[in-house]
Amino acid sequence: MHKSKKESTHIPLFILGGVVLYFLSGFVDELRVYQGASIAVYVIAISSIILLTGYSGQVSLGHGALMAVGAYAAAVLRVEFNVPIILCFVAAVLAAAVGGSLLGAAAARLSGPYLAGTTLALAIGLPSLANQFSILGGEQGLAFDVGFPPLALGEEFTQYKWFFWIAALAALISMWSVRNILNSAYGRSWRAGRGNEVAAQLAGINTARSKVLAFTVSAGIAGLAGALLAMTIGTVSPSAFPLTLSFSLLTGAVLAGITTLGGVIIGAVVLVAIPEIADVVAHRLGSSESVTTNLPGLIVSGLLILTVLFVPNGPVEQHRARKAKHEAAHAGSKKNDKH
Amino acid sequence: MQLLNTLLIGITAGSIYALMAIAFVLVWRSTRVVNFAQAGMALLSTYFGYEAVSRLGSFWVALPVAMIGGALFAALVELVLMRLLVKHASSGPIAGVAPIIATLGLLGVIRSVISMIWGGQDLRIVPPISNNGFTINGSTLVFSPLKLLILVVVVVLLILLTTLFQKTNLGLALRASAHAPEIARLSGVRVDAVRTLGWALAGAAGAVAGLFQTVNGNGNFSPDSIEFLLLLVSGFIAAVIGGLDSLLGAVLGGLFLGIAISFVLMYVSSGLFFIAPFVILLLVLFIRPQGIIGVKAGRRA
Repeated sequence: MHKSKKESTHIPLFILGGVVLYFLSGFVDELRVYQGASIAVYVIAISSIILLTGYSGQVSLGHGALMAVGAYAAAVLRVEFNVPIILCFVAAVLAAAVGGSLLGAAAARLSGPYLAGTTLALAIGLPSLANQFSILGGEQGLAFDVGFPPLALGEEFTQYKWFFWIAALAALISMWSVRNILNSAYGRSWRAGRGNEVAAQLAGINTARSKVLAFTVSAGIAGLAGALLAMTIGTVSPSAFPLTLSFSLLTGAVLAGITTLGGVIIGAVVLVAIPEIADVVAHRLGSSESVTTNLPGLIVSGLLILTVLFVPNGPVEQHRARKAKHEAAHAGSKKNDKH
Repeated sequence: MQLLNTLLIGITAGSIYALMAIAFVLVWRSTRVVNFAQAGMALLSTYFGYEAVSRLGSFWVALPVAMIGGALFAALVELVLMRLLVKHASSGPIAGVAPIIATLGLLGVIRSVISMIWGGQDLRIVPPISNNGFTINGSTLVFSPLKLLILVVVVVLLILLTTLFQKTNLGLALRASAHAPEIARLSGVRVDAVRTLGWALAGAAGAVAGLFQTVNGNGNFSPDSIEFLLLLVSGFIAAVIGGLDSLLGAVLGGLFLGIAISFVLMYVSSGLFFIAPFVILLLVLFIRPQGIIGVKAGRRA
C-alpha cells in the first residue's frame, strides 16, 4: 500500500505538543489552567463528532448522552469498587463504545434527518434514566474524584493543574489515535461510504458494518470525554449532560470544519472562550441579567448558523479551496501566456 | 374505567402530537428538510399567544394571533435561512447535514432570544375552560371539557387543512410542488412561493400545538420547558411513524404515539416518560421502516 510521508504516524509531533503544554501550564493562572482542561475535553469530544459526521457522514445529536454513559461508568466503578483511576477511564471508553455500537446498529439503517431525530430522542431520554437506578445517584448524581495529584509533583502543584495534565494527555493520545484511524483503511472506507454508498459497496466495502464501527469508535472517544468532563466538575449528574452539550459539540465540529481534524482546537477554544467573550460584551453594553445569561447560548447558536451558511466546510478547508483555486487560475494564465 | 381514562388521555395528547407531526410533514414536503427548530417556533408562537391573552384577555383571540404570528415567522425563516442555505451549503461533505445543523442553530437562537425578551421564569396561560374531569355516575374521569375542546379544535383544523389540500387550486399547487417540483414549475406553479406557504402552514399548526400542549399540561411554560423538547421529539416520531410524507399518516402516527405512551406510563412505569418515545421510535424503525402509510422502502433521505 502506498504510504506517503505525510501519512506517517506523527509520534514526535504529538510528543512535542505534550512538552509545550507541560511548560505552558506552569506559567498561567488557575482559571486558565481550568479552561485549558476544558479545551482538552472539548478537543476529544469534537474529534469524535468529526470522525462520525465528517468522515462517516452520520449525524448524532446524542453524543452528550454517550458522554454521560462514559462518565457514569467511570464514576460507578470509582465510587462502588474504588477502581484505579486509569481503569475508570478505560471503562468509560468501553461502556460508551458498547452503547455506541448498539445505537450504531440502529443508525446504520437510518440516514440524515432520521438519524438526527433518533439520536435527539436518545439525548433527551437517556439522562432521565439516571433517576431510575439508585446506584446512579438520581438527580444529585455521583461524586467523581480522581484524587490529589501525586506528592512527587511538589507541594505547589494544584488540583486544576492535575486535571489539566490528565485531560491534555488524554487529548494528545486520542487525537493521535483518531488521526491514525482516519488515515487507515477504516478511515478511507468511511469516507468512501459517505461519498457514494453504492460505489463503496461495489468496491467491496461492507458499508453497514463500517458505519456501525464508526459509531462505536466515535462513542468510545465521546465516553472518554464524558469521564474527563466529570473529572473537571467533580460530579456526574443528569444536568451535567444537557441537550445543549450535544449541540455545542456539533457547533465546535462545524466551526472546526466538519472534515478537518486539525481544526478541533479552533472549535474547542471558541466553545470555551464564548462565555467569557459574552461576559465582556454584556458588561460593555451594560445589559440586563436575562441578556447576560443568555448571550453565550445566542452566540453559540448564531455562530452555528452563520458558519453553515457562509463557511460551510470550515475555515481551514475554505482557505485551502481558495488557495487551490487561486493556484489553478495562476497556472491557467501562465499557460495562456505561452500561446 | 382506568382503561378508558388511559385511552382518552392518550388520544388528547396524541392529537397535539398529530398537529406537530403535520408541521413536520408540511415542511418536509415543501423543502425536504426536517425542521428541528419546529419546537422553538411553537414556543415563540406560544409567547405571542401569551401576549395576546394578557392584553386582550381572551384565549379565543390569542389562538389565531399565535397562529398568524407562527405562520409569519415560519415564512420568514424559509425566505431567509432556507434560501441562503440552498445557495451556499449544497455541496461538499457538509451538504447532507447542513439543514439539520442550521435548524438546530435556529432552535438555539429562538430559545436564547425568548429568554432575553421574556426572561427565563415560568409564565402561565389559563385554560379557557375547566380542566377538571367530567363526572359520570359519581366517578370522575380524567377526560375534561378542556381535553374535549382540544380534540374538537384539532379535528376542525384537520378538516380545514384537508379541504385546502384536496378541494382548492392552492392545495393542488401545494401537492404538485411536493411531488414533482420541476413539472409543477413548468405548469406555471410558483414553486418558491408555494414552499414559503408550506412553511407558513406548518408554523400555524405548530403554534396551535404549542398553545394546547401548554394548557393541556399545567399551563406553565418557559424557554427551557422540557414540554417543548418532548413536543419536538413526539411530533418528529409521530411524523416518522406516519411516513414523513403523508398528512393522514401524521395524524395516525400522532394518535398511535399518544395512546402508546399513555399506556406505557399507566401500565409499565411513569418513570419512563422521557425514554418511552425513543424506544417506540426504535421499534417502529425496525419493524416497519417505511411508516404506517408510506410505501417507499427504507429511510434514506
